[in-house]
Amino acid sequence: MRLTVSDDLRRGHGSVLFRFWFALPFLLWLSLWAVAALFVVIVNWFATLIQGSSPASLHGFLARFVRYSVHVHAYVFLGAEPLPRFDGKPGYPIDVEIDPPVAQNRWTVGFRIVLAVPVLILLGAFFSNSGGYGYYNEGGVGLVFVAAFLGWFVGVIRGRMPRGLRDLVAYGLSYAAQGSAYMLLLTDRYPSSDPLTAIGPLPVREDPVVLETGDDLVRNRLTVFFRLLLAIPHLVWLALWGIVALFAAIGNWFATLFTGTSPEGLHRFLARFIRYSIHVYAFLYLVGNPFPGFTGAEGSYPVEVRIAERLPQNRWTVGFRIVLAVPALLIAGAYGTLLALLALLGWFASLFTGRMPLGLRNAGALGLRYHAQAYAYLYLVTGVYPYSGPARFSDAGAAPAPAPA
Amino acid sequence: MSRRAARLSRPLALALTAGLALWLVAAYALWRSTASVPAGPSLAPQRFFSDSFLRSSSSYERFLTIDGVLAIVVLVAVLALYARRGHRLMGESAAGRVGTGMMLGMLGFAVVWLAELPFGLAAVWWERGHDVSHQSYLGWAFASFFSLGGTFLFVAAALAIAMGLAGRLGRWWWLAGAPAFVGLALLFAFAGPYLIPNTSPLKAPALRADARALERREGVEGTRFVVEDVDRFTTAPNAEATGLGPTKTVVLWNTLLGGRFPRAEVRSVLAHEVAHLAHHDPLKQIGWLALFLLPATGLVELLTRRRGGLARPEAVPVALLVLIALQLLATPAFNLVVRRVEASADWSALEATHEPAAARAAFRRLGTTSHGSPDPPGWSQLLYGTHPTIMQRIEMTYAWEATRGP
Repeated sequence: MRLTVSDDLRRGHGSVLFRFWFALPFLLWLSLWAVAALFVVIVNWFATLIQGSSPASLHGFLARFVRYSVHVHAYVFLGAEPLPRFDGKPGYPIDVEIDPPVAQNRWTVGFRIVLAVPVLILLGAFFSNSGGYGYYNEGGVGLVFVAAFLGWFVGVIRGRMPRGLRDLVAYGLSYAAQGSAYMLLLTDRYPSSDPLTAIGPLPVREDPVVLETGDDLVRNRLTVFFRLLLAIPHLVWLALWGIVALFAAIGNWFATLFTGTSPEGLHRFLARFIRYSIHVYAFLYLVGNPFPGFTGAEGSYPVEVRIAERLPQNRWTVGFRIVLAVPALLIAGAYGTLLALLALLGWFASLFTGRMPLGLRNAGALGLRYHAQAYAYLYLVTGVYPYSGPARFSDAGAAPAPAPA
Repeated sequence: MSRRAARLSRPLALALTAGLALWLVAAYALWRSTASVPAGPSLAPQRFFSDSFLRSSSSYERFLTIDGVLAIVVLVAVLALYARRGHRLMGESAAGRVGTGMMLGMLGFAVVWLAELPFGLAAVWWERGHDVSHQSYLGWAFASFFSLGGTFLFVAAALAIAMGLAGRLGRWWWLAGAPAFVGLALLFAFAGPYLIPNTSPLKAPALRADARALERREGVEGTRFVVEDVDRFTTAPNAEATGLGPTKTVVLWNTLLGGRFPRAEVRSVLAHEVAHLAHHDPLKQIGWLALFLLPATGLVELLTRRRGGLARPEAVPVALLVLIALQLLATPAFNLVVRRVEASADWSALEATHEPAAARAAFRRLGTTSHGSPDPPGWSQLLYGTHPTIMQRIEMTYAWEATRGP
């Protein structure tokens, strides 16, 4: 199962403005289709359990349902522009390709509903909203929902969907499609939350704040079991450091507003604080394995933030930085929910297997990278707005940070 | 021994002798600062407790004692193993020298927690069976797990101080480390009353009046009297005196209140706790801690030298073993001191209330509700007894009556 994206990011102002109303007939049709799919999947479960693979007719019906669901959600969440068809035929700008039926492991078929629980939990981090969208709702606002909410404002005003937000929606849809295909017994391949393989070719960016993961995925079970408690001294230290960093950021705001560039000392101090916070959260959320140091020293942790040297910043964006950072902080909050759920699932996986699954680790790294970028922007360490979608990074952007003082 | 070594060892021996003498003088002064209490007439427990209660409380306490002894054996065994192999976990750290030591310290306690979990659960099972505890097994395990977080924080802070000092002062870090830990203990004793969860001010007007009268009589005006809600977890009654100076506080468990104990008996308990504050017992406790820490940290330094001293993280597992072993060895001596302190507070409470009958009733009820044996075996009392036995406390009330004359 592969997600394909051929959307050109252009949006009609009116189409975006009335998106939800335009989508209503499709959502209604999708819900009727979902009722039918529910009955079909029960039959499919028995059939797959007996003959070891999904019957072609049932597979075709359910595959078309998954595809249609992706089309409709891509439309609702502003991942694509044109109105979807009602028949779920391929060709939509955000689409899925689903392989024909293959043999499946009967054990995983039999316990599919239990095995799907982690998938449902993670889907909550992508799609939940205060009203309950229909997936598992863990109480927070999901990433895709936030991306669509912010994309709606941009789309109405500029007639375009930002690439990062569109890719974030596509990433969520990719996971949802994989999850649906797994739960509807179209495949026995467990859904991967890896953002690097979710949506095809990724943009190569040159951002001033990037995250590098040199981690080998091996986890020590003892430190995994006590991870939350082991992080407590770091969290206390981080909170104390955070108070100082807050005052430093205020000082940095005044200085950057007057001089147009962040002072060297404050830039270094805040960069170090951001680096340390990412070390701590990487440890806490199992994105990294070793116990981090307390100083945020560069190159001291396998999950490392590289922060470019200070550059002149636009004084207007500096002046209104707090306001401008609000959307980024909203996305960071949604990523925070994702990180917590990834850590929960990763905790069980690491405890049983001694390894962190690659998909969970990479999804966590994406969340941490966004946090680093968002807080670097908020604290005026950089003037470059955080990029919300999955991406690859060239070495050109984040030049080596200045040597520690 | 070479001549040079002999030249060096003489001042060292002199310093050690002087230190030991000072230590003994300080210990004697602290010991004498608590008044001794006359022992009462020897009485038969059957006079105050039914045979069936004596049998069941004895069996109840025996199980907990055996469980406790086994837990200690496992604790020492696990720490010994950890002292040998714990340093292998250094590879799990990307922190520097001190950070790695902190991690090893926390992991040491984590391993101990895991090893002691079955004994803790067994104790909960036994207490639930005797209606002393209401806590579910899972609830207890979670509470115990999360309270480990506080231990981790304390261990991390202590190791940061000790290893930081060891890095700067080398072998003599403990001379600065012990006073630093005593300072921290003073800070915690001062702030402790505000860290106790689920507390509210004592509201019952009659008890408040009793409390105010007692604090005036004992000269500890300004004491806070609070109630801690614990009845969700236990039926056992308890109270404590905590805090220093302006934070001095008497904490009553709510298992004493709400008609479970008559007013006169609660007054006896209040008088006992107020007496602790009047005797400055929280401060004296820190004095005893200081007397323990100075030689203990010195021994830690001595016994961790093979691993490079406490400046090196690989020495931390050994330091944990040494410190816990010393603490276990010192426990009977500590308990002796604490029993003397408690007896003195009991006596002062009688002097304050002039109600020996109420005190007797309170002791009797304390025994029956906590299901503790009123007259445990001598060895058990020596090892675990942090208070005089219930029978000794009852006998003391008769001794007090005898001093008042007919």
